[in-house]
Amino acid sequence: MAPVSPFDEDQWEFLFAVAARVAPPVTEFDPERRARFRAIISEALALRPPAVVGQIGMFLGVLDRAPALRYGRTFRALDPARQDAVLRWFQEAPLQKLRQGLWGVKTLVYMGTYAQTEIAPRLHYAPSFDGNVHLHA
Amino acid sequence: MRDVTCDVLVVGSGAGGGAAAKELAPLARDGRRILVLESGPRLREDEYTGHELEMATKLYVDAGGFLTADGAMTLAFGRAYGGSTVVYTGTSLIIPQATVGRWAVPGLGWEDLAKRSRKYLAENNVHLLEEERLNANNTLFRDACERLGYRVEQFPINVKGCKGSSLCNLGCPNAAKQGTHRVQLPAAQAAGVEVVTNCTVERLGEREAIARVANPGFGEPSSWEPGEYRIRARAVVVAGGAVGSPALLLRSGFGRALPALGRYFTAHPALILVGEHERPINSFHGHPKSFYCDHFADSHGFLLETCMYFPFTTAKNLIGFGAEHAELMRRMDRMQMILVLAVDPALRENRVALGRSGEPVVHYRFTEEVLTSLLWSMRFSARIFFAAGARRVHAPACERFFVERDEIARIDELIARDRLKLGRNSITSAHLMGGCRMGASAADSVTDAWGRVHGVPWLFVADASLFPRASEINPYVTVMALADRVAERVRNVFTELPAA
Repeated sequence: MAPVSPFDEDQWEFLFAVAARVAPPVTEFDPERRARFRAIISEALALRPPAVVGQIGMFLGVLDRAPALRYGRTFRALDPARQDAVLRWFQEAPLQKLRQGLWGVKTLVYMGTYAQTEIAPRLHYAPSFDGNVHLHA
Repeated sequence: MRDVTCDVLVVGSGAGGGAAAKELAPLARDGRRILVLESGPRLREDEYTGHELEMATKLYVDAGGFLTADGAMTLAFGRAYGGSTVVYTGTSLIIPQATVGRWAVPGLGWEDLAKRSRKYLAENNVHLLEEERLNANNTLFRDACERLGYRVEQFPINVKGCKGSSLCNLGCPNAAKQGTHRVQLPAAQAAGVEVVTNCTVERLGEREAIARVANPGFGEPSSWEPGEYRIRARAVVVAGGAVGSPALLLRSGFGRALPALGRYFTAHPALILVGEHERPINSFHGHPKSFYCDHFADSHGFLLETCMYFPFTTAKNLIGFGAEHAELMRRMDRMQMILVLAVDPALRENRVALGRSGEPVVHYRFTEEVLTSLLWSMRFSARIFFAAGARRVHAPACERFFVERDEIARIDELIARDRLKLGRNSITSAHLMGGCRMGASAADSVTDAWGRVHGVPWLFVADASLFPRASEINPYVTVMALADRVAERVRNVFTELPAA
């Protein structure tokens, strides 16, 4: 049974907007891979307490609206360069909670992206159960 | 609720519980009932797929992403038949004499621990991999350390028929790693010890445990029917790990008489560092962890080890995002990796506590000394990467994503303390220790030198939670040696305890 979605459609749309800047391979995902991205994150968050999921949802809202204070626009309405500047600001933010929030969102994005087994060839990641056979090839 | 009676109940089946189970097997041969309750599953052989997220979800608590209370550190610990021994790399070291001296536990001597450790080195087929089985990730590290004059040693590892999948941390798909799931637990079961998987002990009472069996939908189903159980025992040995054991004892009310319970938690906070080479070195072929460097342990408080991680784990441990991050991720075949372990102090405030629902919550404060150790570890690791021939290095505490090869002279300036910030940098731990520390008195410890809980003659602890301070090396052999002592004590005092 598929887990309940941790986010509403608007939050998913925003997460994909962030993911496009955080993990560029996401922009090349076809609908099936995008669905897998959502499923991986949904399954991971289904194991977390509802309070944690709520905090992530709240942080997504902060990340979207905070740029209005400086740029007069939400994250989604910014050009890519300014979106990157916002993400960098959160990464280096003076408050640990804000840095932690971005780290959590990035972790979800990387999970949805790099935990997809199909991405391995693109990464030149090719482990083998018989790795020793390839050791000095 | 169903009632079960046994003679000795062991909670947990990892390095501590598995070793204790085997060492208690003589009692089983004498007709005593020995039960091991393990909260995790026993996977079927065909379930070891090597797929990162799938295996992490099946074999680790919180899929390997258990966060400390402030979210600054991720703790990885196993939950399976065999506990964390299913997901470690099998590095097998005897604890240094100086470390046991620093532990200063009356009645616990290094010679005794070393003797018992050697027993497990033999039992687990511990040996050095042959030179032709070492991959480039490992030999580059060794050669670079030697070139720089840093002391470097080869890890003895506990494998039998290793095929070099590099997937040790996801559970060996070739059944080569000699964890308790391959050695001690099968031996114990052959002697009559019963092991019940998917069975979580929720709390302890007076010589009894309340447990719940629930099958997760993968692995072998538990040998017990799903539901709630009350298990009465003469003696209980708790071996649920440095998070699970203190949490269980706290839930059971032992904290009232034991103020040190849950406290003095240490973790060897870790960083995963990456250097990029010009050409593929294919670190994902071969055993991932063959060398360690303890050159800086005394002077700077950290150890370096070779390592190889998987795409998601690697991605989340790189600082930054965007094109540079994706560019490095596209070159996993060119990545050299180093794992840093900081030797952290045992602070009373670093502790396992309980959340509202009785779940474990780990409070951990990073000292400035530990953060400085991590900073220096990045600087020295960058030198090792470059000495190994890397074209550039990703240092999480650098202003830029990469330190380039022509910037070697500026490493200490580029890798700066002000960029090492909690919440910004990924800090992880897989060496969880303390919380039920050994010692002389109930005022500042939880058990005596034989793992017996102060003031509770039927209750023992046999896992890394016994460590009064960090082990300063990979801890599993020491856990087994301590469990061996605990089992010996249980055997010796068993007849003095009232029957269940």
